[in-house]
Amino acid sequence: MSGKQTIHRVIAAVGVLALVLVACGGRTTGGTTTGGLQLQVTTKPGTKPVDKVVWAVYRDVNSLDPIYAFDYPENTTDSLLYESLLRQAPDGSIGPGLATMTNPDPLTIVLTLKPGVKFWDGNPVTADDVVYSLDRNTDAKLAGFYPAVFTRVQSITATGANEVTIKMKQADYWFIGELASIPAMIVEKSFTIAQGSNYGTPAGKIMGTGEYKFQSFTPGVAVVMVRNDNYWDSSAKPLVREIDIKGAPNDASLTSALETGGINGVYAQGLTTLDQLKASKAVTITYGPGWYTDAFIVSNLKGPLGDVRVRQALSLALDRKGLIDAIYKGTAALPRWISNSGTFGYGKSVFQAAYDSSPDMTQDITKAKQLITDAGAAGKSITIGMSSELTGISIEAAALKAAAEAIGMKATLHSVSAQNFINFFIDPKARVGIDGFFTLNYGDYAGPEALLATFLIPEGSQNFDGWGVQGTDPNAAAHAQIAAMFDDARGTADPNARAQKVADVEKAIATDLTWIPVLQPWVPTIMSANLSGAYSSFAYMFSPWAEKLGGT
Amino acid sequence: MRLRFFVRRLAMLIVSLLVASFVIFAAIYLAPGNPIAALSGGRSIPPESLKVLEARYHLDQPFLVQYWYWLTNALHGNLGISITLRENVSDLIASRISTTAGLVLFSSILIIAIGVGLGIAAGLRPGLLDTSALVITAISASLPAFVAAIVLILVFAVQLQWFPSLGNGVGFFDQIKHLTLPAVALAISSLAIVARVTRAAIREESRKEHVQTAVSRGIPTAQLILRHVLRNAAIPITTISGITIASLIAVAAVVEVVFGLAGLGAYLVQSAQSKDLAVVQGISLLLVGAFVAVNVLVDVLYAVLDPRVSLGSRAQ
Repeated sequence: MSGKQTIHRVIAAVGVLALVLVACGGRTTGGTTTGGLQLQVTTKPGTKPVDKVVWAVYRDVNSLDPIYAFDYPENTTDSLLYESLLRQAPDGSIGPGLATMTNPDPLTIVLTLKPGVKFWDGNPVTADDVVYSLDRNTDAKLAGFYPAVFTRVQSITATGANEVTIKMKQADYWFIGELASIPAMIVEKSFTIAQGSNYGTPAGKIMGTGEYKFQSFTPGVAVVMVRNDNYWDSSAKPLVREIDIKGAPNDASLTSALETGGINGVYAQGLTTLDQLKASKAVTITYGPGWYTDAFIVSNLKGPLGDVRVRQALSLALDRKGLIDAIYKGTAALPRWISNSGTFGYGKSVFQAAYDSSPDMTQDITKAKQLITDAGAAGKSITIGMSSELTGISIEAAALKAAAEAIGMKATLHSVSAQNFINFFIDPKARVGIDGFFTLNYGDYAGPEALLATFLIPEGSQNFDGWGVQGTDPNAAAHAQIAAMFDDARGTADPNARAQKVADVEKAIATDLTWIPVLQPWVPTIMSANLSGAYSSFAYMFSPWAEKLGGT
Repeated sequence: MRLRFFVRRLAMLIVSLLVASFVIFAAIYLAPGNPIAALSGGRSIPPESLKVLEARYHLDQPFLVQYWYWLTNALHGNLGISITLRENVSDLIASRISTTAGLVLFSSILIIAIGVGLGIAAGLRPGLLDTSALVITAISASLPAFVAAIVLILVFAVQLQWFPSLGNGVGFFDQIKHLTLPAVALAISSLAIVARVTRAAIREESRKEHVQTAVSRGIPTAQLILRHVLRNAAIPITTISGITIASLIAVAAVVEVVFGLAGLGAYLVQSAQSKDLAVVQGISLLLVGAFVAVNVLVDVLYAVLDPRVSLGSRAQ
């Protein structure tokens, strides 16, 4: 009864919100419609200068060295300070960044620096800086987080003062997405070498090319950056003089600070107080496409989940609508594929057509029960790795347990501490006896393959169940075919043809349920009511999201 | 006598620090989680990078070897490197010490000025003032700092907008403004306890024979209160103030977290969560040291306040 009322209230709220968005939406900048709500990739450009904006991230920034940027706080900060060779627009499409790119042949990428590109100190960006910055990713001594991106790279060489040539061992069009992301952010070689191990730490200084330049990094307080008035592209006119990136200790503190103006903006993830902020006059909330997926990772194919019918039955029995309301306060969509439809950064029409022809993953207990009977899985038991200290994760685990029990299976919850939850991802010992666990996961750029590559190839960092590998996967032969399709897409030059191949893979794994997608969250961009202009898509993780930010 | 007192206290401090360092190191070591993994926020760090980083911070070594590394470095004045921030722990602590010190000092001033002041007033003037002081302090003594913090934010930051709810502020007056709500939240329950103890001590002294004698001899009230009542009531007041102020050092963590202050307590909580061992060790030892120091200060005060008490007699 009360649950139903809540759902109605949420539907009403979403409806009102949609009306408000339509009424004051202004320009619609290439959004996608989901459940009647228009998702926007960016907000209306700001018009007035603003002296200072305090932007919150969920914890303190740990490093300002892009090779260690692997999570929301660092990505949000680095995307203002540094620029990558290519750039992702708010809608995820890739264009020139510091450089323009040509592909003379499938194994060659030539990057030509734009004329006049320079660092904050006025020094020009050279081919040497580019080679150095890319090579840092694979330097074993530095232990950066992106070496896997470069597995098909043969060599990176400066072939002119402003030209860098990358030779590939094998054609890899996914690498181009990475060139528009964190691994291709450019630092100044001489400056970085001089800073040594201090580079990017609170004790050190950094040198980038972005519209905002570094001023100070005080752990526990903020990373302070100011407008780079010497920016190489004189047509860019950032309106905000100073941006402070600040770790907000918890949802309650963040919410009261947003209401009192102590914090002026945040890209929220699963914020428990979202309803309170929706009602607040102090802030506006814009919803944009996410490039992340909330999913159940199948980590053991030797148990009941090795049977595709069991995976399908669990997926059919899951109450996804309830989870959307409980965890994301209505700000997420039902999945059709494993990847979020927000990730369609290229081949958009091809992806969208294929996506539209796929069904929503809705609940169907009768069909699920039939599949369990067919599979002879009634009474069999699965173990779900979870942490009762993580609210979202524990709600999801309980929902999956309920789904399993509703169709005659058994489920055990294996709870670990919040700090230990990460061990499911990095420690094979922690996964012993576990059939799967939940994740909110994303790739480095707007392309469904960016996330899929982590588990659809045998050596993928998140292929925990040995999917597609003889000996660990009972359907290895069939899965190897999907993997071959996926590999074929990787070497396909034409974006639309590539999109079609990736879409075919998506459809295959949406049936195979390699991972079981739970829901596709949107990005809620929360800003003080007198601010506008920030990107409102997941592009804030990789691109200069504050270039149009200003007062209204 | 004095020298012996300080030498003994110093020895006690060193033993406490050594024992504490081992116990804390062991506790953090045994606690679940992986400090390197905390860097990625839930994505899979490439195994090759994980290996290099684990070797760099000796995380692949057995427990006693790790402790030995830490201890020998610490004895050479090197508290180690934070895994999360890749920076010297001593620098990181130094940058936050003033916030916690300021917060504790601000609260201590509130506790002593208002707590002792209210206690004296209530103790000397039975009646309405006394009764209302008793009721108010009974309520506020049972108010935990985190509840006080939430109520203060709701009323004075969100509703009235008099004070900011988050952060440290820049410049002296702005910092005071940012520290006001946290200091009040931190002081409120200790203040009530100090007020109640002070009131009781004043009451008891006022009833004593020498005070009654002084009254009958016509000694002026001000002098009577200062020299006969307060002087004698000072020992219990100092004891309770010392204990509560020492405890503020620990409780400050709660308040710092709620108000997003860059202090040592909040940093301790955060580092313990991400298993940043060297940072947890460094802050813990500093806090243990501060706790011992406050207690030594209280002992010295005893001797100053009451000539009959010799230094260190409490410890015998």
